[in-house]
Amino acid sequence: MPELPKKKVGLIACSGEEIPEGTITRLAVRQVLESLRPQQTVTICLPLFLAGGEGDRAFARFHPTITVDGCEKRCAARGTEMYSGKPAVSIVVSDSACPNSAALGSARRLSGAGRQAVSDVADQIAQQVDNLLDLKWDRRSGRPIHGSPPEGESKPRQAACSCGSGIPSQALRVAGREVTLIALPLIFAQFRETGKLPNNSTKTALMQTVRIYNPIPDEEESAYAGAIMQEYAAFCRAGPVAGGIDNVLN
Amino acid sequence: MKEKVLIVPCSGIGKSLGSVAREGAYIVTEESCPERTRLMPLALLVLGDKETQTELSSAGAIAIDGCVRACAAKVVEGAGGTVAHGVQVLDVCRRHPDLKPSGISALDESGHKLAHALAEEVKELVDNLRGEVPHA
Repeated sequence: MPELPKKKVGLIACSGEEIPEGTITRLAVRQVLESLRPQQTVTICLPLFLAGGEGDRAFARFHPTITVDGCEKRCAARGTEMYSGKPAVSIVVSDSACPNSAALGSARRLSGAGRQAVSDVADQIAQQVDNLLDLKWDRRSGRPIHGSPPEGESKPRQAACSCGSGIPSQALRVAGREVTLIALPLIFAQFRETGKLPNNSTKTALMQTVRIYNPIPDEEESAYAGAIMQEYAAFCRAGPVAGGIDNVLN
Repeated sequence: MKEKVLIVPCSGIGKSLGSVAREGAYIVTEESCPERTRLMPLALLVLGDKETQTELSSAGAIAIDGCVRACAAKVVEGAGGTVAHGVQVLDVCRRHPDLKPSGISALDESGHKLAHALAEEVKELVDNLRGEVPHA
């Protein structure tokens, strides 16, 4: 059965190549991805919001996102909000971990103080990840208190970015205009494979799931529901629903 | 062209070749031709920083990309700049099949060698752009 991507926290570093604080953002994010919270986080390169497709731009609408900026220009936070979605948390390195920029080394080679700042910022990010996911950690075992993590969680991993695996989305017409809904193809596939027919009882559940990933204005709920059900019916006609569909549509 | 050539590496954070792109850009701008080049952070262009866009419009840019999504080249063009040369690290990698870089936060030896090979190629492009073709 197709599965919707699990809810993770998205991390976006400005990566500012000109200043040491930019390097700190990138390395701190890597540290969280690779060793501190590998199962709970995902990343994407900031420029993909411009250079990528709709799936890439859906990143911050799909994942609660923490942006990490090196300086007060806040390119990651502002760029993410401009092209994708408002970040849940915005961290600025120059505000917090390292007030003395000169002591950090260069953008290419961080000093000891710079490397310490990487760890400090990484801890700060991990704390915010826990807050967003409402996770509490057992400090002795290094595991979340509720629920056991998948096997291998504590092992460092080579965490990759999510470019090329953008969130699938689908455009449809609602009240005379085109809207793009994130994860709709996956949601349709999941509903179809569990035998949910395009009828009124499915409509409620379908809309609840669509709402998890997409903001739907209350005043347009009915228009959205109509358009989504119409698309879902077409989707089901294109492939078999477990248990049959012909008797309902005809 | 006598203005400094802008070197724009991608902001790759998830792949080794992104790190190679960045390291290659540092080698060019800090070691092999610091007087003739300047590193331009891509994040500023994503934001549409006016000062950066003005600088971009008055100088040639060499975009270095770590993957086929070519963010650096696309963003430079989107910001009104001219990509005089778009360099794909993957192409450099193909020319050096013996080098298999790994590591992202810290490149391994192979990654550093590839970054130097990349920097050599970029340096030649800078020479050509400025009409300073070296003679053998």
